[in-house]
Amino acid sequence: MIMPLIKGLQITISHMFKKPVTLQYPTERPDVKPGFRGLHALNVSHDKAKCVACYLCPTVCPAKCITVEAGEDANHDKYAAKYEIDMLRCIFCGYCVEACPVDAIRMTEQFELANYSRADFTYTKERLLEKK
Amino acid sequence: MVNLTINGKQVAVEKDATIYDAAKACGIKIPILCHDKKLHPFGGCRMCLVEVEQMKGRLIPACTTPVTEGMIVQTTTDEIVKARKLVLELLLLKHPIDCPVCDAAGDCDLQNLTYEYKVNMNRFVDEKFNHEIDYENPLIERDMNRCIHCGKCARICDEIVSYGAYTFINRGIEAKMGTEFDGPLNCEFCGSCVSVCPVGALNSRPFKFKARWWALQKTKSVCSYCGTGCQLTLGSKDGKVLTTIYDENQGFHNGQLCTRGRFGYQFVNSDKRLTTPLVRKNGKLQEATWEEALAEVTSRLSAGKSDPASVAALATPRLTNEELFLLEKVFRGTIGTDNIDHSAGFAHEALTKGAVASFGVAASPSEIADIQKSNLLLVVKSDAYETHPVIGFEINLGVKRKGVAIRIVSDKKGKLTRLPGAKTTVHTPGSEVALFNALCKSVIDQGLVAEGVAGLDALKAAVADATAEKAGVTAEEIAAIAKDYATAEKALIILPIGLGYPGHNAALASAAGNLAILTGKIGKEGSGLLIMGEKNNSQGAVDMGIYPKGTGLAASAIIDGCANGNVKTLFVAGENPVVSYPNRKKVEKALENVEFMVVADLFLTETAALADVVLPACSFAEKNGTYTSLGRRVQNVRKAIPAVGLAKSDFEILSAISQALGGARYNNQGEVFTEIAATVPAYKGLSQAGLKDEGAVYPVSVAAKLVPVQAKAVAPAAGKLAMVTGSALYHCGTMSRFGEGPMYVCPDAYAELNVADASALKIAEGDQVTVTSATGAVQVAAKVGKRVPQGVVFSPYHFGEGSVNTITDGAEVTYVTVAKK
Repeated sequence: MIMPLIKGLQITISHMFKKPVTLQYPTERPDVKPGFRGLHALNVSHDKAKCVACYLCPTVCPAKCITVEAGEDANHDKYAAKYEIDMLRCIFCGYCVEACPVDAIRMTEQFELANYSRADFTYTKERLLEKK
Repeated sequence: MVNLTINGKQVAVEKDATIYDAAKACGIKIPILCHDKKLHPFGGCRMCLVEVEQMKGRLIPACTTPVTEGMIVQTTTDEIVKARKLVLELLLLKHPIDCPVCDAAGDCDLQNLTYEYKVNMNRFVDEKFNHEIDYENPLIERDMNRCIHCGKCARICDEIVSYGAYTFINRGIEAKMGTEFDGPLNCEFCGSCVSVCPVGALNSRPFKFKARWWALQKTKSVCSYCGTGCQLTLGSKDGKVLTTIYDENQGFHNGQLCTRGRFGYQFVNSDKRLTTPLVRKNGKLQEATWEEALAEVTSRLSAGKSDPASVAALATPRLTNEELFLLEKVFRGTIGTDNIDHSAGFAHEALTKGAVASFGVAASPSEIADIQKSNLLLVVKSDAYETHPVIGFEINLGVKRKGVAIRIVSDKKGKLTRLPGAKTTVHTPGSEVALFNALCKSVIDQGLVAEGVAGLDALKAAVADATAEKAGVTAEEIAAIAKDYATAEKALIILPIGLGYPGHNAALASAAGNLAILTGKIGKEGSGLLIMGEKNNSQGAVDMGIYPKGTGLAASAIIDGCANGNVKTLFVAGENPVVSYPNRKKVEKALENVEFMVVADLFLTETAALADVVLPACSFAEKNGTYTSLGRRVQNVRKAIPAVGLAKSDFEILSAISQALGGARYNNQGEVFTEIAATVPAYKGLSQAGLKDEGAVYPVSVAAKLVPVQAKAVAPAAGKLAMVTGSALYHCGTMSRFGEGPMYVCPDAYAELNVADASALKIAEGDQVTVTSATGAVQVAAKVGKRVPQGVVFSPYHFGEGSVNTITDGAEVTYVTVAKK
């Protein structure tokens, strides 16, 4: 009867000398592993978004959270006049990155996406471009 | 029939079939890039290579090789696949592979075949093309870097459109598809080349970057411009019609369209569309709710019930059969007025009076399919091409492929007159009836009258003094046409009608009918008279009875009634009399004078601006229903997008009015069609579901009768030019003004003069000129050419600014003076 109790306490006490497994978030930051699928970012090349508005990401997106509208620039080239991701719908599957033929979108390590209003979850092209 | 074996399958095909046709017939797909079922075989791309056992040792193209008895064909052996892969590799060597930004992606034959044949590497290395891309053209963008040299654009432009805008220039690896002197594209802009281009070398510029092909919702419908009744597929996304999609299996025309059909769809989502009802308050049109607007309309109309003669309705033949039927029921039935009309009253006379008198039916005795089955076409006015361009393609094909002879009697030359073997007789303006009477007389004089024609003596007497001189042509010309026409085994007369052609009335339909009846060219395949209604549902409007049947007022009398106060309430459904009816000043005055006018339209037209209540209506893309085309084909129109703004279809508007007036109630337009099928004899047995995609031609029983008609003498005015009106190739009615495509190509009104007249008046192309008649004066741009004969001016009627009806008054010919501004 007393033996199991002592055994239990032994385990408990032994843990007091081990490294804790929990992370003291937010004072401690997690070590994000490579391949992590966080917030999207639009890649930039020559001061312009690489995106050519081919619509493959909204086509492949299973959550239908990407809205693209193409425009024609001064050189008659195609560019994304509008590029929006509705983060409330996004399931972070990463298919958009996989589908992109011009390496224009990637997923960053940023995972802190909480916000105060619904509108703030709509990531416009400007917001997605910000972090280079 | 020839029997052969393809991939072990037995198949029997016609002896003029190719291996490709035979394979298609038994459901075997052979890949093609340069072949099109509408065009002559070309054999350029080498994708369709197959193996024939009797010709072992080499691969032969399926699309150019005719079948022979006992042929044993293999379409996919390892060797064939290897050869096709090589062809694709060589094509991809020069192709830019910019699929992410190419609008053809998803609908690209090269892309699909590359995927199908798993060509993911290339053994060869070479530089890409570096041709200049034509971004300037507002309708067709040409990126010859993507071109695979299939030549389809050049062939369709030559074989079907008969324009010849493209050709191969240079040789070998430097060969490219070019225009004359490699300059800018300056053609009819029908977009046939864009439709057949297997890659993205030719693109529709208005659709550029608008959406990807796979994201479009495709709706099969019918074009809402002219009366040809071309089927088209609307590509829409997010409630907007973005493009028309080519489908080679649609309609008698195999997906061919003209400028308006292919590039004129933007009116559907135009910014100028009315989105809310407007009611006139304090002299100004102000936004109102539907309840408010409809309450005002119904209270006026129900007040009119006690004095039905003071109520009138003008409807456009652009509405669906269901809407026109309901309109007729509300006005003729519930309100009890016979003052209903459409198309200015004269533009449907050829059917409602002429055809009725001559053939006993208010429809053409012939249908579109007769064009290619005929031996000789007698076309009244070269304008048949301008009014109905896709019928023009049928004529081109008939003449060039089937060897159909063509005779044109016209007051000017045009594209049809340049067809191979075409003989054109240019008569004096306004003398069409005199010309047909002279033809009848010549047929009688030459003893070419068919046996057993009743009423011959009355006609003989009537045409006794019909000489060729009265039509301004020589007796030899008349005798030659009469002989060619009468001796042809099958001969078809083509007569376009419309608001621009006041001379194409009942008398002309009967005069033309007389010639057909006299020579026995009626009631058999490939013969007869094809009366071509101007608008998409001109035939339907006639079938639904949108014209005065008893003592009611015709359109011109309704306008007069508005002016003198006899008509107090006018309901206008889509018509734009201010621009399209003769004598603009008179019409404007009348419509300003009428006590109460309601206009239901898509746009705030010149007419709607004068109304007391304006109701926003729906375009053809926003509703279901049926149209009846000029060949009597009833076809389904299908809804592609939700209504724009608060707009309601004319069916919804009319059914709300009908209910408020205590008339019939309908839940949906389908119920109306059921009633049409039950009450309109010609539509008996039809159902919307039964019409399917191809529609149905309703039969007519023709009781042909000679109807002697007297030609109206046209008194030429000395020192003046004879002005004739009509259609421009890029426009139809006044609606195409709201489509961007037609407006890029033909934005303004113009007057077309002969070079000799122009130089005498010192007018150059593009000069602003003032055209003055007894009715008024108008300023338009001058166009100088050799198409119109000396002493004649031609002007299209579609435009609001510088509208030609400012100077016309409903006469066949208007005598004008032209002076440089």
